[in-house]
Amino acid sequence: MNGLLCRARRKGNHMWSTSRGARRTAATLLAVSALAVAGCGGPGAGEAGGSGDSGGDRALTVWIMEGTNPDARPFFDELSTAFRNQTGATLDVQFVSWASAHDKFVTSIAGGTTPDVAEVGTTWTGEFGEAGALADLAPRVQEAGLANGLVTGLTEAGTVGDALYGMPWYAGVRSIVYRTDVFAEAGVTPPTTWEELAAAGEKIKAARPDLIPFPIAGDNEYGVYPFVWGAGGEIAAQNGGTWTSTLDSPQARQGIQFYADLALKHGLSTPAAATWKETDLQDSFSKGQSAMIISGSWTPKAILEAAPDLQGKIGAFPIPGPTGGLSPSFLGGSHLSIFEGSPNQDLAWQLVQLMSTGDFAAKWGSESSFFPGTTALLQQAAQSSDPLVAPFAKQMVDAGRSVPVTPLYGQVQGKKTIPAMMSAILGGTPVDQATSTAVAEMNQIFAGGA
Amino acid sequence: MTPPAAPTEFRKATFRPSPGRKVAFLNPRDHRRSLGSRALLGLGVGVVLVFTLFPVWLMVSTAFNGRANAGSRSLWPEDWTLDNFAFVIGEGGFGRYLTNSLLVALGTVLAGALLALLAAVAVARFRFRFRTSVLVMILIIQMVPVEALVIPLFIQARSLGVLDSLVGLVVVYLAFSLPFAIWTLRGFVASVPVELEEAAYLDGASWGRMFWSVLLPLVAPGLVATSVFSFITAWNEFIFALTFMADQDNYTVAVGLRRFFGQYGTDWGALMAGSTLITIPVMVFFVIAQKRLTDGLVAGAVKG
Amino acid sequence: MTDVVTTLRERTRPGRGAATAGPRPGRSRRGGTRALRPWLLLAPALLVMGGLLLYPLVRVVAISLQDFGLRQLVSGRTNWVGLDNYVELLGNADLWRTVLPNTVVFAVVAVALTVVVGTLVALLLVRLQPVTRGIVTTAIMLAWAIPAVTGTYVWVFLFSPGDGLAVQALDALGLADAATANPFASRVSFYGVATLNVVHHGFPFVALTVLAGLLTVPQEITEAAIVDGAGAWRRFWSVTFPMLRPVFAVVTVLSTIWDFKVFTQIYLMPGGDGVNRGVLNLGTWSYVESFAQNRYGLGAAIAVLLTVLLLLITVAYLRLLFKEDEL
Repeated sequence: MNGLLCRARRKGNHMWSTSRGARRTAATLLAVSALAVAGCGGPGAGEAGGSGDSGGDRALTVWIMEGTNPDARPFFDELSTAFRNQTGATLDVQFVSWASAHDKFVTSIAGGTTPDVAEVGTTWTGEFGEAGALADLAPRVQEAGLANGLVTGLTEAGTVGDALYGMPWYAGVRSIVYRTDVFAEAGVTPPTTWEELAAAGEKIKAARPDLIPFPIAGDNEYGVYPFVWGAGGEIAAQNGGTWTSTLDSPQARQGIQFYADLALKHGLSTPAAATWKETDLQDSFSKGQSAMIISGSWTPKAILEAAPDLQGKIGAFPIPGPTGGLSPSFLGGSHLSIFEGSPNQDLAWQLVQLMSTGDFAAKWGSESSFFPGTTALLQQAAQSSDPLVAPFAKQMVDAGRSVPVTPLYGQVQGKKTIPAMMSAILGGTPVDQATSTAVAEMNQIFAGGA
Repeated sequence: MTPPAAPTEFRKATFRPSPGRKVAFLNPRDHRRSLGSRALLGLGVGVVLVFTLFPVWLMVSTAFNGRANAGSRSLWPEDWTLDNFAFVIGEGGFGRYLTNSLLVALGTVLAGALLALLAAVAVARFRFRFRTSVLVMILIIQMVPVEALVIPLFIQARSLGVLDSLVGLVVVYLAFSLPFAIWTLRGFVASVPVELEEAAYLDGASWGRMFWSVLLPLVAPGLVATSVFSFITAWNEFIFALTFMADQDNYTVAVGLRRFFGQYGTDWGALMAGSTLITIPVMVFFVIAQKRLTDGLVAGAVKG
Repeated sequence: MTDVVTTLRERTRPGRGAATAGPRPGRSRRGGTRALRPWLLLAPALLVMGGLLLYPLVRVVAISLQDFGLRQLVSGRTNWVGLDNYVELLGNADLWRTVLPNTVVFAVVAVALTVVVGTLVALLLVRLQPVTRGIVTTAIMLAWAIPAVTGTYVWVFLFSPGDGLAVQALDALGLADAATANPFASRVSFYGVATLNVVHHGFPFVALTVLAGLLTVPQEITEAAIVDGAGAWRRFWSVTFPMLRPVFAVVTVLSTIWDFKVFTQIYLMPGGDGVNRGVLNLGTWSYVESFAQNRYGLGAAIAVLLTVLLLLITVAYLRLLFKEDEL
């Protein structure tokens, strides 16, 4: 009898097929016989739960961003087994694409249909936290003694006032990924200034006319920031309590102009890229259609997975500064957040801890090529000599930047102000006009708080 | 609402049906056609067939094309395979979405047929105060853009706790499909002669008995037509399914398709395989109901 | 069955007869329940429609008069702001420069094309032999049956930048450069693709409805016109069109309503979900403001604007219906 129940629960627990019904079955079985559950190995259900877990529905819904880890399923299979062994609860992991994630979060928060735990992009954490959707993790982090071991940039991004709305999980940074074979063929080396970057593109265009030397994706704000920052500009400045966009400063405009000119003047891109997302860049690169792309530290692995024939032909270099040095790049990543609407917050915290510290965090980091969110693990990764890791680590440590840390910036991103500006520019709108429009739109959001 | 849910009520047309009379054009041989005009007709047929069927073909052929994800863009699958379908149903989770859509559509159809029939009998068979107002309301309400109702319905569904549940969608789709169903069924009910009902009463039947054994069988074709429309409304609907559903276990097919716009570009093979799976039931319905639909159009267009 | 109905219809003419026949002899015995019965029958449907169509319609107006964001949604408190949302909406240059033109111009063009294509196809169908007509009608039904979601994906696929078949074909014809063309980037070409999609999806309704009308034109009239030596073009404008004017009016108005509020076809195209601000229409704008920005008040105001525009068209529709007859 006991064994039968165990098997039934295991069956219901397989997360890829776990439906609500199956979960309910599992929950019912649990309620029927706690003894049977305890007999299934690992600590019993009663041990793990706090006050919030008394309901008996011992299943957590978890939303994870799709694509971070090219093959995340074995990881989550393993995680859910470990979690079940530890707590007796099951996981229902659902993958959400980055493109639709913000809208989906906003709608589910509005509708009260949030999951228990979710991976939340660092730029959104403040926004959702301030809206009252996320649980404050600061006391729990304090209690667990983790407060001093987290990567500062990530905790900053998740903090509003005294509340920490997201547990740092992983971080990444964007640099430039390139084709080593094409560079050799065109006789160029990784550029160290903006001028060299343009020149390298021109040479590649001449040597390999079949390739797009350096596609400029319109719908990719993280490609714009390095050039704004590199030229000495800022996205927005905080003055007293209010933010004002500074994208119309001469420096910012100059950087944006240079970035756009790579496409418009130097012809290193293709007009089709005006509506491309970051993923389209990778797509084009792994199809062997482009020579350089702005791409995250986590992507080389996925690219090689998609295009095994590129093995040994790709490299990376940090985004150069205008006249040397590095252009700062957005240090972004994800938090693990617990939703206020979750009835199982204690259980959820156990999952968050399991995922963001120790073996699972390290494993996630190495599998996804992201840098982990705890300082101990980050330092370990930064020592790497891997040519596809070291340039990114350099970019992250030396020139990682954050977008304005305000929940309002999440709204700016939600409104896709920068992508709208960039696709307008690539479509022929003058930089001055497009930046002014974007600034007006951002300031309206900053001012209105809505 | 989509074009299939069209109120085809042209009863106010100036023309009258002439069932017994011969109708123009029906037999093209009546006007001896020249070779040239027949060639022109043939050309016309060709153009229409290509325009209508090309997207359908492209969808199906891409769904079967094993190389669609490797950038193959061709009119004929370069590598016939069922892999895309297998992927969509297996890893893509489409089996689940299909089940959800089917449940939602069937719920909508059953509830809709019952409610619409009752209402249609009321407006077609009874004279009562405000009858005209009710009819006008049904007609106007049909024109309300459901897109404008997403916000209030989302808020209502939230407070009723039916967000993220299939029941919530059924109720919403029911509301959308009712006005048209009532309006159409009303015509079918009205066309059943009162004499038949009276004969039933003379035989001692109660109203209920008359309803089941006289009225219902005679309006069955109308029920089929409105059910097809309700089914399609529920099956195809996108915006509410997108907004109401958070848990992907509750996705319907229309929303589930979006998954194939992945992180690494669009999985066109899977997307088209999913699309084919969605489209086939609707097409089968349309073709089965074709006679009824066209009859309905004719009846609607010429009904006096 | 159809025959039966037709015959029956003949017998019960005029159409009103059926409706007036409701109360029957003998009803006076239970007059109370008789009077109630229609309402009992109507009640479930009226409840559903009232609760899910009428009430939300009132509600959306109410929301449009509030500052309604996430906070209001969660707390349930209301924050009336009068006409602020409308002031913001009508004062927004995007409305006049982008959204309204997109909505109106697209609807006009799409409707004109839908009706013209549909009519041409109907005129073709009516001249065909029964078998051929059956085949073509089935093909048309298939086009009609494609759900908006999947239809849109097929057109997007066809026009996808770089390797889309249509883009390649235009390239081969020298009309575009496949390497650089992006049909979804510019407003005109974006809506060009959307128009193709909408016309393809919408013309079958027009074609089949007009065909139904054409089949009722008595042969004598056409023959008389032929005897008078009228060519096909003149015959259409002087005989067919006047006789079918109500049919054309109705298909035009219905198509206008559908094309005005088109959402799915736009939202699912690249950039249609708010990324490309230049291609927003009233429907997508309202949705994006609400569900991506949490500005339900402004979103509702846009929805109200859309509804009012549609109501104006509906009034035209009703006047057409009511002009010559009664319900």
